[in-house]
Amino acid sequence: MSTPAIVSPFSLLDGAIAVLSLFATLWIGLRVKGYIGTIEDYLVANRGMGLYVGAASLLSTEVGIITYMYQAQFGFVAGFSAFVTGLITLGVCLLVGRTGFVITRLREMQILTVPEYFETRYGRSVRVLAGLLMAFGGSLNLGIFPIIEARFLAVVTGIPSQYLGWTMAGLLVVALAYTALGGMVSLIVTNYVQYIFLAAGTVIVTLTCLRHVGWSGMVGAVEGHMGGHGFNPIEDLGLGFILWQVLLWIALMTVWQSVAMRTFSTKDAAVGKRMFTLTGFLFLGRALIPMVWGISALAFFWGRAEPVTAPVAETKLAQMEQIDARLGETFRRDLDEGRLERALPQVDLLERLAREEKQRIVAAGAGDDDTAKRSAAAERFEDRAKDRRGEIGLLAMPWMLAAILPTGILGLVVAGMLAASISTYAGYFLGWSSIIAQDIVAPLAGRELSNRARLRLTRLTVLGLTVFIMIWSLVYDLPGPAYFYLQVTANLFMAPTLIAVVGGLYWRRASATGATLSFLLGAAASLTYLVPQLRLDVATAGNLSWALAVAGFVVGSVLVPPARPAAPRDAGGERQEVRS
Amino acid sequence: MSWALFWLVSFAVAFLGFSAISLVIAVRGVAEIRELFSALEEERRRKASRED
Repeated sequence: MSTPAIVSPFSLLDGAIAVLSLFATLWIGLRVKGYIGTIEDYLVANRGMGLYVGAASLLSTEVGIITYMYQAQFGFVAGFSAFVTGLITLGVCLLVGRTGFVITRLREMQILTVPEYFETRYGRSVRVLAGLLMAFGGSLNLGIFPIIEARFLAVVTGIPSQYLGWTMAGLLVVALAYTALGGMVSLIVTNYVQYIFLAAGTVIVTLTCLRHVGWSGMVGAVEGHMGGHGFNPIEDLGLGFILWQVLLWIALMTVWQSVAMRTFSTKDAAVGKRMFTLTGFLFLGRALIPMVWGISALAFFWGRAEPVTAPVAETKLAQMEQIDARLGETFRRDLDEGRLERALPQVDLLERLAREEKQRIVAAGAGDDDTAKRSAAAERFEDRAKDRRGEIGLLAMPWMLAAILPTGILGLVVAGMLAASISTYAGYFLGWSSIIAQDIVAPLAGRELSNRARLRLTRLTVLGLTVFIMIWSLVYDLPGPAYFYLQVTANLFMAPTLIAVVGGLYWRRASATGATLSFLLGAAASLTYLVPQLRLDVATAGNLSWALAVAGFVVGSVLVPPARPAAPRDAGGERQEVRS
Repeated sequence: MSWALFWLVSFAVAFLGFSAISLVIAVRGVAEIRELFSALEEERRRKASRED
């Protein structure tokens, strides 16, 4: 069986469109530098952001090429069941928007970062600890963006791999330049322009997918490939995963620094609430639309695939060994050349044989050493097949775009994707560097820093962060789907942050000991997913992190209560000057 | 309602909602950016006059 490799039709015209869009963004971003006078102008645009620009800025920051890739990957491997995460996001946004849960209180305090609140409520050590964990988890989270996005650009534009590092470095430098100089004001303006590109690209790709594959084609592919699991999220992902997602999204929408900075930048708390209601539907699209691209890619490549029969061998184990060996020879090349229709059926067959073997062993009941070995081998082959399916899922969407988008349109889509990506880098650079500068370095400096020194410090931190993520993305090997890695690194501090904020705002007896324990235990539980020797599955690690963060907070606060229970206003009713 | 129909409706809401809200943002955003710059300009003038 010999299928032709996919060759991207990316032309000079497409390149010109993409590069022009980049220069336009850079030019706009640099023009607003003169408006930055104080650290408040720099970090929260002097709190003058309106509803629509706020919604554009929030979404541009939270949508990058990586978002499209991991959501498409999730759709590719889980089918329509993946949609449940989008519905959870919508529900959380509407809840936060309608009630102002957490965001209204934080906005009224006029703080610049979330850990700043912890110093008011619990003391400086909790602020620094929270800052350290946020900077650590946030940087790890951001650290894999360039390498995954580089793979997208390599496929869609056909840029040779030796130039990819330079391409990504160029993108990071563009984001670095206007973020470091113009801060949030630059971000708001560039985010608006980038949002237009991003939205146009998103609509074009979706309409192309619908025209090429059609809804019924997608339903057929999911049915044929996954059966009921592809439609029923409870059966496929489990209630534990869904519960963890609900908790995580509540935290992301309220205390995730880049999102919280948008809340802090709004004109007032009412605009903040309306912004969340409006963006709820955009966040629903942020999830479901690229998931549909992933499902389209599944249908697209499945439709081109030829059936594969199991090799002739005496046992199922021998058959699996043969398929695995064949995949070992061809898989990487097929992935690099877009021959996914050749790799996918083999991976499918390997997974099916492994599952059948496992079921057969279970049905036969307890056995001898040989049975245990066969069971372990089947488990290993199933895991390998799943990992390979994940790898195919990550690249299937870009390969499909390279195959179906015509010249010209491809340039527009790449311009939209680059806009999405740069806005995300810029938003995260500002978010995490503000934490490092405001909540770690400044409080530990031991003296009052001038406004100018804070600005310089934050700009230097943006530069340091850029260098870090370039290095991290080159050395780190991703354990499993990108979606899970990103959520677990976020979970490293999200559970304790939300619990310490909510506890601080609504429970007078919450203490610094409780908050400290919550951060330490919550982070430790999340790390179990990232450390290979300890690796728990993603939902267990996520839920464990929440459970331990709550337990630590309650036990610590009860055992070591605050010297004086906080008065209601101290719990966050008014602004308090806490800058060191 | 079957799962397939439920996901079709969800996707339709997501796609149409995304397209419609994006259009509104594109139209109304320009005025908001002008307003933000006027506010920043005014703040800068006020600070300059205070320093004088």
